[in-house]
Formats: sequence, structure tokens, C-alpha cells
Amino acid sequence: MKNSTTLTSLSRRDLLKRGSAVALGAAVGSQAITGFPTIWAQNIKNVTLRQFGTGVSNINEIAKKAKEDLGITLEMTALNTDATAQRVVTQPKSFDIADIEYFTLKKVWPSGNMQPMDISKLKYFDKIVGIFKDGRLTPSSKIAQGTAPHTVSFTDGPNSKSFSKSMTNWYTMVPTIYNADTLGIRPDLIGRPINSWTELLNPEFKGKASILNIASIGIMDAAMVCEAMGEVQYGDKGNMTKEEIDKTMAIFTEAKKAGQFRAFWQTFDESVNLMASGEVVIQSMWSPAITKVRSMGLPCIYQPLKEGYRSWGGGLGLSRNLSGLELDAAYEYINWYLSGWVGGLLMRQGYYSAAPETSKLHMSADEWGFWFEGKAAQNDIMDPFGNKLEPKGAKRDGGSFEERMGRVECWNSVMDENRHMVRKWNEFIAA
Amino acid sequence: MMHKKRPASFYWLAAFFGLFVMFLYGPISAIVILSFQGPNGGLTFPMNGFSIHWFFALFGEQLVGDFETSFLRSLQLGLVVMALTVVISLVTGLAFRKKFFGSNLLFYTTVASLIVPSILVSLGIGLIFNIMGWEVSWTTSGLGAHLTWTLPFGFLIMIAVFNRFDKSYEEAARDLGASSWQTIRHVVLPIIGPSLIGVALFGFTLSYDEFARTLMTSGVKNTLPLEIFGMTTNVTTPTLYALGTLTTFFSLFMILTAMGVLFYLRRRQESHGSDAGKGV
Amino acid sequence: MDTVDRQSPLSTLLQISPISLILGFFLVLPIGTILIVSFWDYNDFSFFPDFVWTNYSDALGSNVTYKTYLNTLWYAGLTWFFTFIIGFTVAYFLAFHIHTTRWQIVLFLICTIPFWTSNIIRMISWIPFLGRNGVFNTMLQSIGLIDEPLEFLLFSDFSIVLAFVHLYALFMVVPIFNSMMRIDRSFIEAAIDGGANGWQTLTNVVIPLCKPGIAIGSIFVVTLVMGDYITVRLMGGGQRASVGVMMWNEISLLLYPAAAAHAVVLLAVVLIMVSLMMRVVDLKKEL
Repeated sequence: MKNSTTLTSLSRRDLLKRGSAVALGAAVGSQAITGFPTIWAQNIKNVTLRQFGTGVSNINEIAKKAKEDLGITLEMTALNTDATAQRVVTQPKSFDIADIEYFTLKKVWPSGNMQPMDISKLKYFDKIVGIFKDGRLTPSSKIAQGTAPHTVSFTDGPNSKSFSKSMTNWYTMVPTIYNADTLGIRPDLIGRPINSWTELLNPEFKGKASILNIASIGIMDAAMVCEAMGEVQYGDKGNMTKEEIDKTMAIFTEAKKAGQFRAFWQTFDESVNLMASGEVVIQSMWSPAITKVRSMGLPCIYQPLKEGYRSWGGGLGLSRNLSGLELDAAYEYINWYLSGWVGGLLMRQGYYSAAPETSKLHMSADEWGFWFEGKAAQNDIMDPFGNKLEPKGAKRDGGSFEERMGRVECWNSVMDENRHMVRKWNEFIAA
Repeated sequence: MMHKKRPASFYWLAAFFGLFVMFLYGPISAIVILSFQGPNGGLTFPMNGFSIHWFFALFGEQLVGDFETSFLRSLQLGLVVMALTVVISLVTGLAFRKKFFGSNLLFYTTVASLIVPSILVSLGIGLIFNIMGWEVSWTTSGLGAHLTWTLPFGFLIMIAVFNRFDKSYEEAARDLGASSWQTIRHVVLPIIGPSLIGVALFGFTLSYDEFARTLMTSGVKNTLPLEIFGMTTNVTTPTLYALGTLTTFFSLFMILTAMGVLFYLRRRQESHGSDAGKGV
Repeated sequence: MDTVDRQSPLSTLLQISPISLILGFFLVLPIGTILIVSFWDYNDFSFFPDFVWTNYSDALGSNVTYKTYLNTLWYAGLTWFFTFIIGFTVAYFLAFHIHTTRWQIVLFLICTIPFWTSNIIRMISWIPFLGRNGVFNTMLQSIGLIDEPLEFLLFSDFSIVLAFVHLYALFMVVPIFNSMMRIDRSFIEAAIDGGANGWQTLTNVVIPLCKPGIAIGSIFVVTLVMGDYITVRLMGGGQRASVGVMMWNEISLLLYPAAAAHAVVLLAVVLIMVSLMMRVVDLKKEL
């Protein structure tokens, strides 16, 4: 193990400032392994779990904290979104825990390389928000289009390779992180209000727009734009027909040929670089990426739009080859993951935790108010790594949790016509 | 140095050469400048503060990814590839000193190994391991993929060396009753030693910087170039530039040292009046 | 290669077995596998043995494929042209104007230092240099040459070819320099004595004698560009296509058989190009 550096010392100081709530949380955290025979607690210390996922949540801090609290050693590998699907399908023996998105799960679950989780062993299942159970945030909210997490969350038994339409006792993946996405803009370089998805193809931003090059996500952004323009009426954006796909891609190909786009991005950081360097002034973007640009001292807005948000979610899934002590350790780790500390870490970067209640214990009242309730900040808002994100008095773009997640229009999706969609998408990239 | 008056074309060409060198070093200078940004710096201009924060960050723990273990992996792999390349190129070179059945086929297969686009080698090896249900790993499939890249270089260098090799030394040794092993050990190896060092350097450098052939063959653990590539898409800090700055200055330092040693040895030889080392 | 060595066939066999085994298993077999898999079928998450032509009909039936190939050939051609001009000039300077080995080595080393920095880092270092607010644009604006930043410098064909030239110029310099050093200086003296001017000497003596070196350099540059994925991906801002990028997109979406079909086509194209270039050079003689 390496010695920790400035990173941890900063976050530790940060923690101290947070005072009593943290002390309470730490007490909860240290209770993680109780109620088990001590021998078992001793054994678990020797377990190593190999986890891979996108750079978003594969943060070394989490591995360090898991080592402290549980004694489990976590080996983390960061990959891009497409590579995560590749890893599950082609190298099933190379991982124990997959940290993947729900649309990726839909693609890889039929391979049988992952095993579902027994919900009765999940300590915090009741704390998980409704989105990941029946698809409803509140009993009255409507269900968004696309691959909504609850449609791929349940399966019929420990060996099933298909999804169940209703809730069962077998969970394909435990949700951890999700968010609502929209367009990110540089207000200083645009100089006027933006309120619709159509602006992405507005010729005014010729050569200064960007879109993300991950087919299942990009197609949904494209659909939001085409629908807002009134160019295409979709039966169901989340499951388009061939004609709808062709029409959507034709509009975007035309825009591309006209020089609308400066670049395409595939990862969080590429989007940050494009925005921070002024190469791009408007693009589909993830909320924490916008926060990151701001922390560099540049104005950047996560722009709520009248048509609503496109949403994404990710979680932790188990490899088929986990068994015995390692499987117990994986359950232990997942329960710990939902117990609050990690949730706090993610929430304080601008993501949402699947069990927000537990993460509240690991956030100051001010932080909770700012990130979750949409209130004005009482003090400067810092990220978990000690960087200042927002000044005192700032409000979160898009408002509270309910306002943001309640206006989700569609989820990233894998459609029935996926093969056709991927081909068309590749042609668009190559056009 | 100055034999006769230089023609005008010399100055034009020298200027062109100067421009070429500037072209080679231009972007590196941008990296060097950006690696000295303050703690909130990003990957692009404008500059954001001034500090040596990122050089320290390089040796600390990264937010995502890890330079140190991937560097050690690349180093180990590079050394193994280097040793194998030297030995295998040497014995193959020895075999090629005479015609044998299939020598043309082997020669052109080796050349093909250079010409086949790297991404195909990667894809092919990945597919085989996938179909057979083996785990790809940098120590097995990765090593093999690297050898398909370094061996042809070593092999071609050895062929060139043996083409220029004066066989009368060997014959003399044999006439004096040396066995073939002794001949190789005491006559051949000392003469081709410098070329073998060249092959070793080539083997190490090519492996250390190999990306495309490693892409699908390294498995779960990344080599340094793959880690850096992951970083280009997952990191927004100038750590990467700090790494580039360090490696550039490190190689500059190594090369200058080597040059210094070389000049020193030359000078010593010249003052001792030895004729060794001339006309390598 | 006609030595009367006292080697037995057995020792020759022993000597060539390591390289044969390695290349057999890691080069010949993988290429064979690609060929076989290109006829397999696939779904969203797996591929399985079959004998279908759909992968080829998908690949060859799409206009985008041809455009992508043309685009890649365009990059290869431009890169070849610039690396040739640069490579030849630099090699000529080093071979005919620098008269001491010591200085030749020093100047060579100056050129090689950047090659010790990782390719990827060297590539992305162009981004802050060429960006909208990059070094180059800022410089041109501050001396008043331009009012608006030049957009074409980055994420364009220009930046892709520039990065290629930057990465591969040395692959051209070395073999051409090697050929030039082997030219018997008396040929050049004879040409000049015979009344040829500098230009005639260059075109009638030097260039023909450098052909093998030029061919070797060209083979390197062209095959590297044709098979490239990462340069086009990073320097094109993800919106330019090359054969490698197209293949990699398919690989990353788990469409292995489709990628294999593209790989077979690419291999055929590259081999045809190389065999044309090989006609002017007898590799064995050149070594």
C-alpha cells in the first residue's frame, strides 16, 4: 500500500469540518461487520475483490475506505463505457464486481456471466429509491422511456438469463449512482438564455457544438433534439423503429457535414477539456463534468431544458464465478457501499446516491441542502477532494432532487433494433 | 570540421534541418509549460497559476488509475522482451548464415510481422484466447504480441550484421582448433556485441512504448501506454504532462551522458594511439 | 549466405524453432482466426461459428466503408508525401553536408530524443498547441496576422496528418540516410565531372540509388498510417473516420465478426500496397 498524499489529508480536514454528522456516520460505518462470527471477520480481511467500471465511480478513495472499514482489498480498473461491456462478455474470469450502467447491463446480462443478488441479503434494500424498484420516483410520477433501470433490475432466479417484468427476490444489479443529464453551456461565450434541446443544432453554434460518441447514449440525445425540433415524432424514443433511427441519424449527419460539431467525446474528462478550453460552447454533458469546469474558475451552466432530462444510472453487479467466502465478502462490500459513506462521496460531486437517506449522514446539513434539496449554499461548497466547487449563496442548476429526477424524459437505452442503430451510428461518426 | 568553403545549399539545408528540429520539439514545449500549472490547472491553455504541484501528484495516488504499477509492468515486460529478442534474433541470425529449406518463407513471414497492421495482431490474438476460453494477460498474450513487433526488427538487424561479417576470423579460430561453440563465444560474439546492444535497446524501447498490439492482449492489467491512454480520457489534470516532461528530460539526460562517455573514451583512445573503435 | 558452415540441419532447426513457434502462434494463427471469424455470426453479446457472408456484404455494401477507405488512403498519401520530402531532405543534409561521424551522431540524437516520450503524450501535446486558444493561435493573433482564431488547426484532417508526420518522419529519415551513406561518392564526382549540375546529379544519381531506402521508409509509414486507430481518434476529435477507427468501434461494441471482415479487407489492401512498393527493393540485398 502506498502512503496517502495531499488528497486524503485535504479530505480528512474537510471531514473534520463536518463535525457531528460525520462522527455519527463513522459510528455507523464501523458497525459494518458485526453480527458475524469473529473468525469470519478475520477471514474477510484476506479477500481481494477485482472491480472495474467507468472512471466516474472507480475512485481510489473508495478502495481505501473499504480497506479501512471492512479489510477487503479492492483492485479497481477504470475503463470507458464500451469497454465495460466488452470486459463482462469476453473476460468473465477477470473480475468479481462489475460497476456498469443499466443499458450495458441489458446488453450483457443474457451472456450469463453475471449472477443476480439475493435481495434478502441486502441490508439497505428498503432505502433504495423507487426508480430502481417500480420505476416511479413518487407514486404519481410517470415512467420515462428507454432502458429504465427497473425494467432490467429483476430476474426470476439465481440462474436466469432474462429479466422479470415485476419485482422478485433476485436483483440483477444493486444501484449506486445515477443522474439527470442535459446540455452544458458556456454562458460567457453564448451570451443569451438557452432553453431547448434544439439549440444543439442551432447554426449559431457552428463548429462549437459537441455530442457524446457512445451509441446508446448519443442516440437518446439526438432523439431529444429531433423531437424538440418537431422533425421526428417517435412512438417510443427508447425503442425506435428502423425508420425513426434512420430519420434521426440523417438529421445529425447533415448537421455534421455542415460543420456543426467541433468534436465528439467519449468520457467525462474529454467533455471537460472541450468545454474548459473553449473549443465547445454547447454540448450534451454530465452534471459533475460541469461542476469540474466551474472548479477551474470558468463559467459553465448545467442548463435545465423545457423538454426534460435524459437520465442514466449505474450499479454494482456480481460475476458468475463468485462463490463462498468471496461471495460473502462481495455482499458485505455492497451493503457497505449503500451504507452511506460512498453515497456521500458521490453526492458531494453532484451525482445522486441510490440510497440518499444513508448518505445524508455523511454530508453536512448545508451540503445536503445544496445538492439534494436545491437550497442556496450557506458556505462555500467543496468537493470531497478539497476543491471549491461553488461559492456561498449559489444554488444547484436544475434545483432539487425531485425537480431534476422527476423530469426525466428518457433513459439511455438499448433498443430491439440495436444492431441497426449501432450501424447507423457508426456511419454517422464516419460520415 | 571545416574542409572547404560551404556551398550555399548547405545553409538552406541546415535551416530546413533546424525547422525540422523545432517541429519535433514544438509541442513538447507546450507540454513542459503546462505541466507547471497551479493545482486547478487543466489540459489546455490558458495557464492556470504556476507551481510544481503536478510533479508531486505524479508520484502520489491518482484519483483514477495508477502510473506506478503500470510503469513497473511495462518495465518488466520490456526487459523480458529485450532479453528474448536478443537471444532469438541472434540464434535466428546464425541459422540464416546458410540456406536451408523454408528460409525464404520464414524471412518473409518475419517481414510480414512488421507490415501487418498492429490492430489486426491485437484482434487476432484476442479472438484466439476468447474462443479457447483462456485469460488474456500481459504476461502471456501481451508478451507474444510484443515479440511479433520486436523480433522482426532484431532479426533484420542481425541479418544485416552477418551480411557484413568477415568469416576469415572464424576460419582462423577453427584452424587453431576451436570448437564451434568456442568460436561463437570468443570470436563472433565480441565482434557483433555492439549490434546486440542495439537490438536490446530497440527491443526494450519498442515494447515499452507499444500500444496497438497490447490493446486487446494485455487483459485486466494495463501496461503504461494503455494506462496513459486511459488517463487521456479519464483525467483532466496536467499529471500526464508532468510525466511527459519528466520522460523527455530523463532521456535527454541519458543520451547526453552516453555521448559524454563516448567522447571521453574516444579521446582516451586517440591519446593512446589505439586503432580500435574506428569505422564501426 | 553461402557459407560452408559446419552446422548440421538439426542445429539449424533448433535455431529457427523459437522464432517460428512465436510467429506461428502469435501472427499466423491469429490472422487465420480473423479470416475464420469473419464468416461467423453474432448477436448483442456473443459470436458463434457459422458460415455467413453478411459481414462482408455489410462491410462492402455500405458507401461509408468506401468513403472511409478513401479517407484513410488520403491520410496515408499525404503523410507519405510530407514524410518523404522531410525525410529525404534531412537525410541528404546529414549524409552529404555533415562530414564527420561524430556530428552525424549528435544531430541524429537530437532528432531521436522526442521519440523516447510516449507516442500518446506526444500526440496529445499538439492539442494545447493547436487549440482555439492554443499557443499557435494566440501567437498569430498577438502579432496581428489574424483576427479570429484558425479553426482548422485542430480536430481536422490537418491536425491528423500533422500528428502522423510528427510521429513517423524519422521512419523515413533512417532508411534513406542508410541508402545515401552507401552511395559510392565517386559516382557523384563522376556526374559532376561529366558536367551535370546539382539538380541533375540529384535526380539522375542520388534518387535512383536511394530507391530501396525510400521504399523501406514508405512501407513503414504507409502501413503504420493504414492500421492506425489512436491518432485519428485523438487528433480528429472523434469525428473523423479511418479504417482503424471503424474497426475499433465495432470491436468495442462487441461486433467481432464484423470487425474481422473489415480486418480481412484492410489486410488485403495493405498487402497489395506493400507488394507494389516491394517491387523496387530487394530486401535481402538491402540489408
